[in-house]
Amino acid sequence: MSTQPSPYTELQLDALRELANIGSGQAAAALSSLLGKAVDISVPTAALLPLNDAVAVAGEPDDERHGILVPIVGDMLASVVLLVPDADAHTLTAVYGLDPHSADGRSMLQEVGNIVGTSYINVLAQMTGMALEPSPPQVTHDMLGAILASVLLGRGSDLEVALILDSDLRVEEEECSISFLLLPDTGGVDDLLTRIGL
Amino acid sequence: MLTAVSTEHLARMGEQVVSAVAGDVLACVGLGSCIGLALIDRRADVAGLAHIMLPEAPAGAPASGKHADVAVPALLDAVLAAGGARHRLDAVIVGGAAMFSFGGSTGSPAQEIGRRNEEAVRRLLTAQRLHLRAEAVGGTRGRTMRVRIGQGVVTVKEAGGRESVLFGSADAAGLRRAA
Repeated sequence: MSTQPSPYTELQLDALRELANIGSGQAAAALSSLLGKAVDISVPTAALLPLNDAVAVAGEPDDERHGILVPIVGDMLASVVLLVPDADAHTLTAVYGLDPHSADGRSMLQEVGNIVGTSYINVLAQMTGMALEPSPPQVTHDMLGAILASVLLGRGSDLEVALILDSDLRVEEEECSISFLLLPDTGGVDDLLTRIGL
Repeated sequence: MLTAVSTEHLARMGEQVVSAVAGDVLACVGLGSCIGLALIDRRADVAGLAHIMLPEAPAGAPASGKHADVAVPALLDAVLAAGGARHRLDAVIVGGAAMFSFGGSTGSPAQEIGRRNEEAVRRLLTAQRLHLRAEAVGGTRGRTMRVRIGQGVVTVKEAGGRESVLFGSADAAGLRRAA
């Protein structure tokens, strides 16, 4: 991956990582109570990437993923995106005896996005004093590159680089891993940093 | 069947690739709201492919290949420089899907970005008097697009689907024709 001169200091990136850490901890707890199983989280990464590297962060552009988008509106425009490989989506929906490609399975994935995204965003809102509101989740099963590019460009913003806060949720006793991304829209990161005094 | 050694040139977002080598393949992988624009001269075995992200640069910002208003004339110039003849060029567009809806979010444009990209590219092709011969645009699914130099064939593939011929002779490519 090429490195871009970052407009953010190490201290600021650390603070964003810490926000993501607390947020994804809350998200993991919410997912755990939905599934009735323990959920582990990886240490989040915070990286500012050129767009072509940002869309490659979770795999090859033609790798297929279930993508769950939770658009965030309010004081900051952002997107929460959950990416789940097909095998993992089968494992996840099987907890409730569902198939991820059925209407009920998609609806369960939507609910996972809703619960995980909302708990993450609530933590962010509490810590920053921002009013943040999740919109209803949208589910697709498509090419990774198409999913991420559509999310990053979906609001028509002219982004050069994207800040990606990335962590992994792993459901214990199941071979199931979910990539969890927060993608602030233009200006969102600066607002976030201002609110926490950096 | 003869198997030629072919090179695949990938146009990532905001990039363009051009080749005049028969057997080469130009590709845009995972097009969502973006548009893949191919300009093909089948007689000269020359083609170019641009991966366009946005309709136009905002006022005051530097324009680049990611914007349709820069990418379309830039791709045309590059294809002509590689030996293409303007009057023989066929244009093919793929992408412009709306995989997600951002409607209702503050400051969001009324129209989906995929649709705006498509309209911008169509307008610019008309302005350059280039002929749009085939298209696979809109909808809600991502697409991968490949241009095969020499065969003059453009294929399109959706996630989980099969590669099918969008433009050119299916027989030449040994592929199924798109329905």
